[in-house]
Amino acid sequence: MADVMTDRTATLERLGRDRASVLRGLGFSDKIFNTLTWLAAVSVLLVLGAVFISLIIGAYPALQAFGFSFVTTAVWNPNTDKYGAFAPIVGTLITAFIAMLIAVPIGLGIAIYLTERCPLLLRRPISIAIELLAGIPSIIYGIWGLFFFAPFMKENVYPSLILAFSHVPVLADLFAGPAYGIGTLTSSLILAVMVLPFITSVSRDVFDTVPPVLKEAAYGQGFTTWEVVKNIVIPYTRVGLLGGVMLALGRALGETMAVTFVIGNADKLSTSLLAPGTTISAKIANEFTEAVGDLYTSSLIALGLILFVITFIVLSIARYMLLRLEQKAGV
Amino acid sequence: MNMFSKDTAANAAIAGKAERISVKDLKFFYGKHLALKGINLPLYDRQVTAFIGPSGCGKSTLLRVLNRMYDLYPGQHAEGQVMFDGKNILDRDLDLNLLRSRVGMVFQKPTPFPMTIYENIAFGIRLYEKLPKSELDGRVESALKKSALWPEVKDKLNANGMSLSGGQQQRLCIARTVAIQPEVILFDEPCSALDPISTAKIEELIDELKSDFTIAIVTHNMQQAARTSQYTAFMYLGELVEFGLTPDIFTKPKDKRTQDYITGRFG
Repeated sequence: MADVMTDRTATLERLGRDRASVLRGLGFSDKIFNTLTWLAAVSVLLVLGAVFISLIIGAYPALQAFGFSFVTTAVWNPNTDKYGAFAPIVGTLITAFIAMLIAVPIGLGIAIYLTERCPLLLRRPISIAIELLAGIPSIIYGIWGLFFFAPFMKENVYPSLILAFSHVPVLADLFAGPAYGIGTLTSSLILAVMVLPFITSVSRDVFDTVPPVLKEAAYGQGFTTWEVVKNIVIPYTRVGLLGGVMLALGRALGETMAVTFVIGNADKLSTSLLAPGTTISAKIANEFTEAVGDLYTSSLIALGLILFVITFIVLSIARYMLLRLEQKAGV
Repeated sequence: MNMFSKDTAANAAIAGKAERISVKDLKFFYGKHLALKGINLPLYDRQVTAFIGPSGCGKSTLLRVLNRMYDLYPGQHAEGQVMFDGKNILDRDLDLNLLRSRVGMVFQKPTPFPMTIYENIAFGIRLYEKLPKSELDGRVESALKKSALWPEVKDKLNANGMSLSGGQQQRLCIARTVAIQPEVILFDEPCSALDPISTAKIEELIDELKSDFTIAIVTHNMQQAARTSQYTAFMYLGELVEFGLTPDIFTKPKDKRTQDYITGRFG
């Protein structure tokens, strides 16, 4: 009996030792794993920081030469070496704003139709079409915009716009001729098509997260589809929706190729949406190869820095709006 | 009131009550699957009728026919008649919003809307009635009082409905349903996600509500059916096995399957 007991104790001791050594090995690999994930996370911050710092270094000569007036002047003259970013900043904000104005309602409309009303047979084809839209490279949009869309707008749309608003006080300035075809409005429309898939697919996905029973409860109170969407689905998913819209806005602000093709790359500021304009990224893409002289290059890098800052501000505003929304809802 | 039935006339005679809703030979399909195989059932005015039976017997399905909730899902359809106030609920051209304002529903899980406590109740009222603010306040208050939630929330009407506890949320949903003054209220296992104290409160509430409303309740809890209802319908595999006064069903069931179920031999 005693023998059996000592045998048992010995076995347990041996097992304990074995397990401890196995665990030591595992603990080591776990440490490596943890370090790797930590490194992956930190590398994002490092890259972001490095980009920001190199932008500042590159932009420093321009910012030193022009100061804050770099942001507020609308002059861009390589001959006299005078640069100001006002026109591209305004162009960037306006094209993105108009694009969102068009794409958000349409994108939400598609998503609502897909999740609330669409017969099952149509659901897949529409979803696939939208994902295909997202897969088209922006250079294709640019080519298509330049050769087909801009001439089409010039022939068929712009003349009637100019005519229709020629006697309306503010709109007459916004839609003033001549009709070039290329310009701010054409770029905005193409941008709208480009960001539409983002808005649609994100909002469709978040709409699908609304618990069916919550919708049933609302329908059970006699809500109509519109009331369910407005009062249940959208409030329930507002954080995700705002995320989708911001993603799209980020793309609209930074989109380069398609805009470069159709915006006309004019340095002067115009009140008319039909006139050629420019955006920050279009300007950089257009002029980087010809930028001789340090101040010219530095001014272009400063433009990049400003785009970086604008994107950051947009995201901050989004966060702030979200916070306000949540306070208002009493969460 | 009761002009379309012969067989339920007998039941009505037992009860001496008017039929509020009469289900006639109701068949229900999920796609091709027949889930209800010809149900005949009365819901008596201002009485509580409990639907009991093992999972998958069709009791929730039956409940969802009564406010046409199944209409939200393509592929589900019903045949037969569900007469409510001289009209067939299954009629294609029936106004669903109107029907659902008259036949309210409380769900298994609490479903507060993503808005304030006040708005959760006021919203439904505003859909149907244009009221001045003071009157609306009064209606919200009386709905909350009726659902025994008023003392707990009267100081935080502007808090989000989702910030309440589970039991409070469920009473908020009842208040919301009561507020639009329906004639019938459907409860789909209203206590299955709640603790015993909240459950007791809601059962008490159902008992009080029956003085104003016709009530149907689906429950897995036999004691709950016995405590809250005056009539009980036992369903099994898509059929209505037995319907009668609750004490009769629980003390002298006529069908062997009913007896087996209430004594816990299956289900």
